[in-house]
Amino acid sequence: MIVFVSALTFFFVNLAPGGPASVMRFDVTAEQRDALIHEMGLDRPVVERYADWLGGALRGDLGTSLLTNEPVAQRIADRLPNTLLLAGAALLLSIVVGIPMGVLQAVRRNSWLDHALTALSALGLSVPVFWLGIVLILLFAVTWHVLPSAGIASVGKDSLGDRLAHLVLPASVLASTVLPTVVRFTRSSMVDVLVQDYLRTATSKGLAPAAVVFGHGLRNALIPVTSAIGALAPRLLGGTVVTEAVFSWPGMGRLALEAANGRDYPLVVGVAVVVAAIAVVSSLIVDLVVARLDPRVVG
Amino acid sequence: MLRSARSLLTILAITAVVAACGPSQTAAPSGAPAAPAGAPTYGGTVTIPIVADPTLNPWSPNAFVESLFVNRILFDGLTKPGKDLAPAADLAQSWTTSADGLSWTFKLRSGVKWSDGQPFSADDVAFTFNDIVLKPDLGAQNRGNFSAVKSVTAVDPTTVRFDLSRKFSALASYLAYNAGIVPKHVLQADPLKTNSFNKGTPVSTGPYKVEKYTSGQSVSLVRNDSYFGPKPYLDRVVFTVVPDANTQIAQALSGDISIMILDDKAAVSRVKSSTDLAVVSRPLVQYYWLALNQTDPRFTDVKVRQAFVQAIDRKAIIDSVEHGYGSVANSAITPALKAYYDPSLSSKYPYDPEAAKKLLGQAGWTPGPNGVLQKDGKPFQFTMDVGQKGILEPVNALIQQDLKKVGVVADLNPMEWNAYIQKVVVQRNYTATVNWWTYPSDPDVFPYYASSAAGKGFNIPGYKDPKLDDLLTQGQTAADLAQRKAVYKQVQSYMADTLPYLFLWYPEEVDVVSSSLKGVPDLGLRDAVQYIGEWWLAKK
Repeated sequence: MIVFVSALTFFFVNLAPGGPASVMRFDVTAEQRDALIHEMGLDRPVVERYADWLGGALRGDLGTSLLTNEPVAQRIADRLPNTLLLAGAALLLSIVVGIPMGVLQAVRRNSWLDHALTALSALGLSVPVFWLGIVLILLFAVTWHVLPSAGIASVGKDSLGDRLAHLVLPASVLASTVLPTVVRFTRSSMVDVLVQDYLRTATSKGLAPAAVVFGHGLRNALIPVTSAIGALAPRLLGGTVVTEAVFSWPGMGRLALEAANGRDYPLVVGVAVVVAAIAVVSSLIVDLVVARLDPRVVG
Repeated sequence: MLRSARSLLTILAITAVVAACGPSQTAAPSGAPAAPAGAPTYGGTVTIPIVADPTLNPWSPNAFVESLFVNRILFDGLTKPGKDLAPAADLAQSWTTSADGLSWTFKLRSGVKWSDGQPFSADDVAFTFNDIVLKPDLGAQNRGNFSAVKSVTAVDPTTVRFDLSRKFSALASYLAYNAGIVPKHVLQADPLKTNSFNKGTPVSTGPYKVEKYTSGQSVSLVRNDSYFGPKPYLDRVVFTVVPDANTQIAQALSGDISIMILDDKAAVSRVKSSTDLAVVSRPLVQYYWLALNQTDPRFTDVKVRQAFVQAIDRKAIIDSVEHGYGSVANSAITPALKAYYDPSLSSKYPYDPEAAKKLLGQAGWTPGPNGVLQKDGKPFQFTMDVGQKGILEPVNALIQQDLKKVGVVADLNPMEWNAYIQKVVVQRNYTATVNWWTYPSDPDVFPYYASSAAGKGFNIPGYKDPKLDDLLTQGQTAADLAQRKAVYKQVQSYMADTLPYLFLWYPEEVDVVSSSLKGVPDLGLRDAVQYIGEWWLAKK
């Protein structure tokens, strides 16, 4: 799977028009361009370069970034934890907020509250991330001065509280890309469960309504929701590209954008491989969680 | 598209938020008592945004525009642009030229130390040029600017001699342009790829040195105690990596940024409403042009070029896209080069579609079906490749409309920037395209116009004209300022007549500056950072 992703990315990115940013600039002469292409080894055939890369990758060497001359693995290792932090916070936020919201809507379905929250979800899905990000920065950092405007930490004043303050806005904005989906899945799945016979049985045997909804209903309703959240992982990672750019967050999304714009071939491939690996691992985790929630899956 | 949609949405967002929340500034009134008026004080931090991680080596091919700001502070050159943009002393105190003009001798400042305490000497200068710039395999950035230099010799520790293969009057100006001297004792082993230097804490000679480089976040500089000049006022200069232009504006409004270039001039009025920020415009050594590929026979006729330049309403482009920050261009020498610029040419080609039609008629283009001009049965239609960067897309759209009014059909082909460079610059596979040149603060624009550079160097249109070559060579060999001024006056008027490129306009830079930041000279920010030792912060 990962070899396939790397091969596909390697060949596609080399097929893309353009070249490394150091070569593709106005103020570089033809003579400099030839020297640099030779120096970077880009005058060799793509297949040969891929074979070299794969040989290195199997030994854990993802190559050297054309833009910074640093090892690709190091550049990714610098940025990956920041993105995992951001995406993890956003995911946590959408679960903690989204599931109770969905349950509430299912229990009070067709009420004004249900309709209002549905409208809010639709709004959340249709607002562009960069716009929402700028609006929040203007409100919280420029107008009210309660949160930092951008970045992951203040220069020279790095503390846990400072880091958390920097996390609030980008995590909220990123969560807005998946939260509506979590809410809608929880609502529809909960609505399906609430009409099941076993819930009527639970109610009739005298259980409190909260115990019925959360003890019996939610547990079953969560199975499809968990799978849906697993499917959202790639969308979250995609969302980091814009969120990280707006909030100057030093993560993988920005790294990927820089790598693609600058045609940093080894870095593009390295990022693709790592993202593919994350997708594989996250779907594995989701399968394990589903198995725990749903006894029928085991076996 | 995306970019313009984004800036529009941002303006909407800003307007909405401001309307909802009222005035946002709660800071001290501007009349707050400070130190005695005009007396600089020590201390404080200035924050400047850059769009990506810089590469702290002026000669690295990966040192892009974001690196310029930092490198110009860290690495002194032999000269630097004076406040009048003429070359001024920096590491060199004075210089003389031999009688034949082929040998320049620079007397270096004595007692200069690198930030690691090692002495600076002529050997470092010789190393920078002989082992980096003049080595063709390294592909060092800007090496093309020094094609006239044969070799550099350290005569004694404070004297260095440049031997040239041809006369080059602009040498002192070019040495002031991204030509910082780097330390031999650190970079001897690997001049362009030493990561602890390029991406860490380089050894430098400037007023500030790197304190900390945090990838993706910031580069903070502190005073270099070994600096040869007066002690700079600011304690720290921090460059923060803020890739998004709208976030940069928000950060300026929130007080997180002290000074920045405002690329999106549509935001000027919003920023102006903040009492904590000042908006200033500065002249630039830059001009926008439309290149018409000279391998296309339709464009070799000067009448066609003159017609186009009159058909395009350049004033309207400046007013709408640049929000008035700029002036009409008719040659390559910009108003920022005060000593050379000829203002009389600015009114040479007023917007006049009728005159344009007449000229096109004289060139044999007659109206055909749908009002499209034609010649030998073929319509006047071509494609303009549009790089997706800055304001290029709206500018191309305006030019397209103006050309249509005189019966010329220009189809626009928007392209991602990197792919655009490959097609237009590397392969020269284009018919017409709009872009800009920024060049060292000197009227020697030979590399952009020389016949020898047609089709491969910086001569994008591939224009060849022996008379222009001759004039530009006279400029390079002129003995003194008076003679140079006379030659470049001729160059300008000849360029305006012949239009090797269609000159569009000279842009101005708009800087947003915190009102407490003082002492910034009236230069574009990229040049003003070379005077950062004079910047200071008024106490609030």
